[in-house]
Amino acid sequence: MIDWKLVLEVIGILIYATFMGFIFMGIERKAMARIQRRVGPPIYQPIIDTLKLLGKKESVSHGFIYDFGPVFAMGASIAALLFIPIANFQLFSSNADLIVVAYLLEIPMLGIMLGAMSSGNPYSALGVQRGLLTMVAMQLPYGLALIALIQHWGTFKLSEIVALQQTQGWSILVPALFVAMIVFDIVFQAMLGLEPFDIVSAPAEISMGPMVEYGGKHAALLFTQHAIQLFAETAFFAVLFLGGASNLLELLIKQIAVLFIAIFVASIYPRFTIDQAAKFFWKWPTILGIIAVLLTV
Amino acid sequence: MINELMIILFAPLIAGVVAWALDIKGIREAIGIIGAAIPLAYLVKLYPTIIENPIDYSITVSGFTLQFQLNTMSWYFAAVASLVGLAMAFGMAVTSRESYDWLFALMSFTGVLGVFLSQDFVGFFLLWELMTFASFMMVLRRNRHESLKYFVLSVIGAYAMLIAIGMLYAKTGALDFASIRQVLYMDAAMGTITTRETAIIFGLFLTAFGVKAGAVPLHVWAPGAYSETDQSYTAFFSGALSKAGAYGFLLLYILMGYKLYAAFGTFHNHLTFAYIIAWIGAITVVVASFLAVLQEDIRKLFAYSSVGQVGYILLAFGLGSTLGFAGGLFHVLSHAIFKGLFWLVTAAIILQTGKTQFKDMGGLAEKMPFTFAMGLIAVLSLAGIPPMAGFASKWLIYEAAISAHMPLVAGAIFLGSALAFAYVVRFLYAVWFGQRPSDLEDVKEAPLPLLIAMALLAIPNLVFGVAPGLVTQYINKILGGEVVGGDYYKLVTPTGTYNALLVTIALVIGLAIAGLVYIYGAKTRKIPVTNTYQSGNPVTEEFNLSIRRNFYKPLAEALEFWLKYSWDRFYERVAGMAEDFADSLRQAFYNGNVQSYSWYLAIVLLILALWGVL
Repeated sequence: MIDWKLVLEVIGILIYATFMGFIFMGIERKAMARIQRRVGPPIYQPIIDTLKLLGKKESVSHGFIYDFGPVFAMGASIAALLFIPIANFQLFSSNADLIVVAYLLEIPMLGIMLGAMSSGNPYSALGVQRGLLTMVAMQLPYGLALIALIQHWGTFKLSEIVALQQTQGWSILVPALFVAMIVFDIVFQAMLGLEPFDIVSAPAEISMGPMVEYGGKHAALLFTQHAIQLFAETAFFAVLFLGGASNLLELLIKQIAVLFIAIFVASIYPRFTIDQAAKFFWKWPTILGIIAVLLTV
Repeated sequence: MINELMIILFAPLIAGVVAWALDIKGIREAIGIIGAAIPLAYLVKLYPTIIENPIDYSITVSGFTLQFQLNTMSWYFAAVASLVGLAMAFGMAVTSRESYDWLFALMSFTGVLGVFLSQDFVGFFLLWELMTFASFMMVLRRNRHESLKYFVLSVIGAYAMLIAIGMLYAKTGALDFASIRQVLYMDAAMGTITTRETAIIFGLFLTAFGVKAGAVPLHVWAPGAYSETDQSYTAFFSGALSKAGAYGFLLLYILMGYKLYAAFGTFHNHLTFAYIIAWIGAITVVVASFLAVLQEDIRKLFAYSSVGQVGYILLAFGLGSTLGFAGGLFHVLSHAIFKGLFWLVTAAIILQTGKTQFKDMGGLAEKMPFTFAMGLIAVLSLAGIPPMAGFASKWLIYEAAISAHMPLVAGAIFLGSALAFAYVVRFLYAVWFGQRPSDLEDVKEAPLPLLIAMALLAIPNLVFGVAPGLVTQYINKILGGEVVGGDYYKLVTPTGTYNALLVTIALVIGLAIAGLVYIYGAKTRKIPVTNTYQSGNPVTEEFNLSIRRNFYKPLAEALEFWLKYSWDRFYERVAGMAEDFADSLRQAFYNGNVQSYSWYLAIVLLILALWGVL
């Protein structure tokens, strides 16, 4: 007995999320360009880029793990997406637990790192090192923000968090959770890999870090993975703090709002060095996070 | 008919002695493996019976009655230890070349099983010391300094435990767990044992078990001792022996829990004594994980990581809720299987390459593919990637810590997990990937017994990962209630749910979609690791471009202030001062002058005369 409705929903949401993810990437480039007074590429440019990469006749490989890395990353992104309640589509989210989804959203990073490490390129290795240190740095405030949220709503289930917000008002209207939202938003910048925490890819320093060796269909996979991840993370933000959504349009508006905050922050700050980032994360966001958890105990 | 418990308990010891006495290559390995397999076989055989009726056995030795019992909890711990023990024996069949190793490794196996099965403090203490002694002998063989460090801390722990047992005996007049528990339970209401005495007993037990579990600041022996021994044995040392410490904390709850609650009360709605244990655990997790990230030696890295992971168990027990116990007990199993696996992988690497420093390794994934696959399973499990056993247990601890309203302790778990991610990736990169140093060109895959040992521990990582309910349903029986609900594939707590099978399916769907894109994409051409993008600089074979040394230097820079302080250096300095002091005493008194010796004699006699002894 296969639940055909669920199957159709999964396929539909996957296509929608991939497409919107690419559009988000396009918006990101376009908005950044407008802020810097450039014209910028058309909004559908990432889709063209990805199709071009897929159309390459040959791509190089450094071995099995190098191929497996991007596949694993994209697989994990898709898995994470399936557990997030997307508007009125529940997918697998009746079983979704906040901790599980938070972990699933981190797995793609491991996949990318696995592939990057096996390429043997020192820039990739530097990117891996920076990626993990950013993660170490941001995990404490990130964890504290999630703890504050769970303590306030008293549940780990994403669907229940959404339901509670729809009856009792959005999370950010609660003062303690507003503080948690600020912390989460700072961490969010690092999760998306945007300035001032674009330490991992740092195009001008280490030539895109982990992604440096990838080309052809591998790069296309990573682009698609990034699109899905972007969609999943913005949706995750909307679900946790902005009351979820009852239809896709409402969700889209919230996602774009979240995205624009990230773009505006990114376009005015320069990049931190990695030890500065660690010290920063362990200072203000952590203090704010501790305040948030103590207010919600 | 000899009792089954005695067979379980002494089979490894007897096998060890026989292997040591015969000392014929081939036969001693066979005897050792059989000796290590017997406890597991018997435990599996007894599994259906122990849930309803525990098996008791007691022997009387010179006035003391030693009681042993196989109940649901001791079965769990003993089974975990036996599984790791069997894997250790398979591993040792190739990594150990001397009968000495077999004797003491299997002796400590008996000690650990004895600690778990004992139902009174006489047997508990004796077998605890047997375990400590045997493991000390294993370290002594390789490194005297590290073994002494281990020895001194173990002796401190042993004395602490002995005094605590003595005080308990003086107060309760009993040595067996059942009566002590009963008397202390009654005493909680009456209060004949004062709060101060309770605090002293608690502190002493905390020291004794803390040493074995490697809780900060008593962890300093662990990195040295874990690394300076046969690595197959370390699988057992870190996988099972450290659990004796965790078991001790659990024992503390069983015996003294109510009394401690009555004596210390609560602190912001947490049991005060449990709160202390939780914070010891949280600090252990953070400190040990940070240190693990900065290590340059593969053995040191896993040693610190092991200390940190046992910290999770203490933290979970310290939450004081049944969900916390469930999480801690699950982590006992998952830590044993993934860390045991890690040490066996390390054993294989060291056996095949003869190197231990990250700077000498690299590119081994092509040479040892099976070992690499096993290492990857261990990495995924330790880093807590669903669906692996390590995630299920960590998830329970997260749920328990946040539901227990200990946000900062839960924050420590988040930080610890990120650090765990960082150090396992370091291990992956430095050992398996990048350019291969030229002297590792002819490295071969690990020998078969070691591969069997690895598979033995890798399979439970996958099985209990996809079906965590197998473990939690047994844990429910230990805790006597439906603590974690759900079925084989799904865990349900009052506030959250984790469906391991569904996560697996989602991952498979994702991998299938991504795999299709990959397969129907363009052809691939394989190129060597030296053929990479280098901003125009050609790569030559002479320069190894892989970053092997100081991989996490920025972190060390960010932590500069904290790294100035070290418990290890502090103890070394205290030890040095004690040594200097003793040395100056020796030089002052034993100066070789007969005249001064006669003066000492005269002074002693004078003191005795004044005291009225003479």
